[in-house]
Amino acid sequence: MELHSDETLWYFFKKGEVHAFSLLFKKYYPQLYVYGIKLSNAPALTEDCLQNFFIQLYEEREKKGTIKNLKAYLFVSFKRRLIKQLQKNQNNIPISEAQLFKSNFTFSAEEISIHQEIQFLCTTTLSQLINQLSPRQKEVIYLKYYSNMCSTDIAEVMDMNYQSVLNVLQKALSKLRLASQNQQIKSVLKKN
Amino acid sequence: MNNSNKFDLQYFLTDSSFKNWAKGLNKNDIDYWNNWLQNNPQHIETVENAKSIVVGIKFKPQFPNNEKVDQELSKILPKIGLKNSTKNPFTKIQSLNKAIYFSAAAVVLILLSWTSLSLLNVHNTTTHQTNFGEIIDLKLPDGTSVVLNGNSEISYEKDNPRFINLKGEAYFRVKSIPSTNAKFWVITNDLKVEVLGTQFHVNTREQKTNVVLDEGSIHLEFKNGDVTKMIPGEMVSFSNKSNELIHKKVTVETPYALWRGGTYSFNEIPLKEVMFNLELTYGLEVRYSSNHLKDIPISGGIPNQNLKICIAAIEKATGTRIINKGNILQVQENPIY
Repeated sequence: MELHSDETLWYFFKKGEVHAFSLLFKKYYPQLYVYGIKLSNAPALTEDCLQNFFIQLYEEREKKGTIKNLKAYLFVSFKRRLIKQLQKNQNNIPISEAQLFKSNFTFSAEEISIHQEIQFLCTTTLSQLINQLSPRQKEVIYLKYYSNMCSTDIAEVMDMNYQSVLNVLQKALSKLRLASQNQQIKSVLKKN
Repeated sequence: MNNSNKFDLQYFLTDSSFKNWAKGLNKNDIDYWNNWLQNNPQHIETVENAKSIVVGIKFKPQFPNNEKVDQELSKILPKIGLKNSTKNPFTKIQSLNKAIYFSAAAVVLILLSWTSLSLLNVHNTTTHQTNFGEIIDLKLPDGTSVVLNGNSEISYEKDNPRFINLKGEAYFRVKSIPSTNAKFWVITNDLKVEVLGTQFHVNTREQKTNVVLDEGSIHLEFKNGDVTKMIPGEMVSFSNKSNELIHKKVTVETPYALWRGGTYSFNEIPLKEVMFNLELTYGLEVRYSSNHLKDIPISGGIPNQNLKICIAAIEKATGTRIINKGNILQVQENPIY
């Protein structure tokens, strides 16, 4: 009986229905909140920014057209807003996205499930390995496996084409695979 | 030979059988791809890469809990001038229904036979007609706006644009004219709706007329001469043919089907009635693979401007699979459920 596809939610949201707003908020707040924190490393700022983001979304709902892909749309527009806010906090000194997000997307061991197909790695090691990836690789990994986004959506959020998303994923994962193999060899050597 | 290009990452990643193999899910798929790899060892690297993308990394997402989200929501609602009227966040469908029910102004749903009498003189009559699946927004000369659903028609005489004949289904937002207290009428085969300025929905699809009023006040004059006044939240259903009259209060608990110029809201309405409506609006034929599917109840809002979205919403609401082939909708059980 799950009627609330994103299309339905968006339709009622645009009409100004309170419940549609609440449902939309409840559905996407958690994901956007964590995404914002991963991007900015600043929980308080993310929280404020996300509040304002939802308020603005509601106030400007009538201006917005039909949105094909709500999830990607929300991620993209929230990210843009967050970047703007961060730049403002830097006293409007133009600062590149890469610089802004220098230390973004760090993962803790608690965020990694023990059951991994990339075997023989403890969660701590795996989180360390992921944290060593490039910011772009980490963001793709985050969107794909943490936020369960499909590659087409990721392409939209990251402003890349579909093929590049696959390439980034492939590079990131083969780096991890290689690192995990090295770890395995090391651990085998230690035992002997 | 450009064959090796064909087997790129995308090739494997878009193959669901490949995904099953990567996840070790389906024995047939596992056998197939193991065999394929033996015969195509040159692709092993791409396959390995594709496999690790499918398998990925398993995270334990640390999303904020429901209390936190509710707390944030209650902070934000006053800021946008909305109050959170439901305490329970997860009676989703009910609550959306309530929102629809309480927020719209007035809805009059009229269903009547196609043999609608047309007393109108063609020369000074304005007619608006829609094709199957077409929805149009109209502004009448007096400022009243009308949303005309598919396969419907309204007509009025030029010198009396507040006296509307209707076949099919429409949603009216009647412009009130306080200075003259001018009334507005909608005439169907079963009854006449008399309005002072409100919003309502009229549908003349079947051998009867349904009227649902959410706000304001309207008078009905039935073909048999009876009159009745409706108060908000009531539904009247009348058939001139069978002289059958139902007058009751619409609550969240009673079954109803409303259309408000773009969205149907249903409450415990059997699938067959919903589909019958689609047949008329879009000019389709609906078939069922099994009779019991006809009685699955639907509750919730279903947008109907777009048949595809409409069908997808109905599929989700009923857990069925609806296949659109030409002009035939085939309703089947969904093997996933």
